[in-house]
Amino acid sequence: MSGNEAIVEGVLKAGLGFFSAYPITPATEIMESIAKTDVKFIQGEDEIAAINMCIGASLAGSKAMTATSGPGFSLKQESIGYAYKIGVPLVVVCCQRVGPSTGMATFGAQSDVMQARYGSHGDYVNIVFSPNSVEECYKLAIESINAAEESHSPVIYLVDGILAHMSETVDLDGVNFEIKKRKLEPLGTGKRHFTGLTSQGNTPKEKDPMIYREWYYSRKKEILNAAKNYQFFEYLENKDSDTLLIAFGISSRVILPLKEKYSIFRPIRLFPVVEQIEEIAKKYSKIVVIEMNDGQYRHELQAFLKREVKLISQLGGKISLGEIENELSGIN
Amino acid sequence: MSFQELIRKETPIGWCPGCGLYGTFYAACEVIDELGSENTVVISGIGCTGRGAGYFNLDSVHGIHGRAIPLAVGVKMSNPKLDVIVFSGDGDLLGIGGNHLLHAARRNDNISVICNNNELFAMTGGQVAPTTRLGNITTTTPKGNAQEAVNAQAIILSNKKYFYARTTPVLKEHFKKCLKEAMAHDGFSFIELINPCVTNVGKSGKSPAQIFGEIKERYRITEESRPLKDDEFGIVKNG
Repeated sequence: MSGNEAIVEGVLKAGLGFFSAYPITPATEIMESIAKTDVKFIQGEDEIAAINMCIGASLAGSKAMTATSGPGFSLKQESIGYAYKIGVPLVVVCCQRVGPSTGMATFGAQSDVMQARYGSHGDYVNIVFSPNSVEECYKLAIESINAAEESHSPVIYLVDGILAHMSETVDLDGVNFEIKKRKLEPLGTGKRHFTGLTSQGNTPKEKDPMIYREWYYSRKKEILNAAKNYQFFEYLENKDSDTLLIAFGISSRVILPLKEKYSIFRPIRLFPVVEQIEEIAKKYSKIVVIEMNDGQYRHELQAFLKREVKLISQLGGKISLGEIENELSGIN
Repeated sequence: MSFQELIRKETPIGWCPGCGLYGTFYAACEVIDELGSENTVVISGIGCTGRGAGYFNLDSVHGIHGRAIPLAVGVKMSNPKLDVIVFSGDGDLLGIGGNHLLHAARRNDNISVICNNNELFAMTGGQVAPTTRLGNITTTTPKGNAQEAVNAQAIILSNKKYFYARTTPVLKEHFKKCLKEAMAHDGFSFIELINPCVTNVGKSGKSPAQIFGEIKERYRITEESRPLKDDEFGIVKNG
């Protein structure tokens, strides 16, 4: 099956109850597959409608998901901030493609890393996952739903267009998982007010800085605590190497043969940055991030590790092991 | 149960003195009380009217600007037993959220929409809106609005099945009748409330009594089920 099909299998296992999206390459197959199931489904009139339908459905008791690509992801950003503010569990899949604007719609990329973390407005933290195989598309789809339910927030599932369309054999029964239950009581059972306004209880209090701070820090804590249960990464140590390669998603698949020469660290949870990377990085004199964008995750890691991180970027939808090896040989 | 139990006591109402939204809100509470509120959820967008969701002592959702309708559609699809009311303004529903109105009306989604039309963007200080009448002066049309107002009735009636009502909180019983019929309607129902902003229209020197008095003079109620003329209140429905 393809990555997109595996995502659907995963979220069905995790108890998806509602799905809405708008057609966009390379995410459309997710919607087409879900349309054939019993999951409550509506094709939105636009990207913004789709995510707001998901927010409403989630509030009313359904585990909900939407799926899109870069341009649609931009359109959804305001609503992602809103879902974060009111504490709605939700999964947003972004199958990344090349470029700003329509760019190269049929070519995969990893160019929405910054958007996944910082795309919405205001102060927030979030959980972002990135798979690197079709099997992992399945597994992390389940974990994305789980993490959304546990953190009461929108979880970003950052897939690249190559993986979305790539086919691999998957033993679905061989994947172990646990399903998190819905904790939020559905709409219609109380007298609550869900509002984007800074509030105290059910009452808007949008002119008190202390109420905002109290809300923000408790929300941040809730999400960071939930994230502790999803410390996903892979570390392939090569004792002869003084260089640590860091790659995620499809890039990490492509560079796998380099493990014979280098150590490789693969973050599976991109955000919050898995803290284990800090200790691991100390063992290496050089760190190189390889990604299909112009240094978005490198920028993040440099800030996180507080040291220089080199970059090999593969742009325009093309990723080549030969090119990467050549560039690596030039990095001192 | 009394309609007063549908008012959230701990939340102070922030609308301007004299605003027609008070009457709208209390009349809506009366209707919800009379119909039974157990399964009612109120959803709004952003603006003066959008604040209204928070004043109902019910599970309520105050969404982002323009997106109250898709939020409501998601709620209704997820739990069809809920009576879902959208309580929002003209800028929210006919301006930024216009696409959602177009498509929810076409799909005949089973929700009731109360669109409070105060004919401008009131909360931000009175800018021109799609509902502002030709020639009206607003902060962004200092020489008078050069465009015609949107025709909400025509948008709703362009569908095979429709429910459109035009009324005003000034005529409370008529508004209540419209809301009751809208909530009983099996499909998408849209109520356009003529309810000018007393604060911004008031800048011209008119009192709320004068502003609401002009509505009573300008409009008359028709019981006929046919497309409403510009100066008529009534209900037009099919299916």
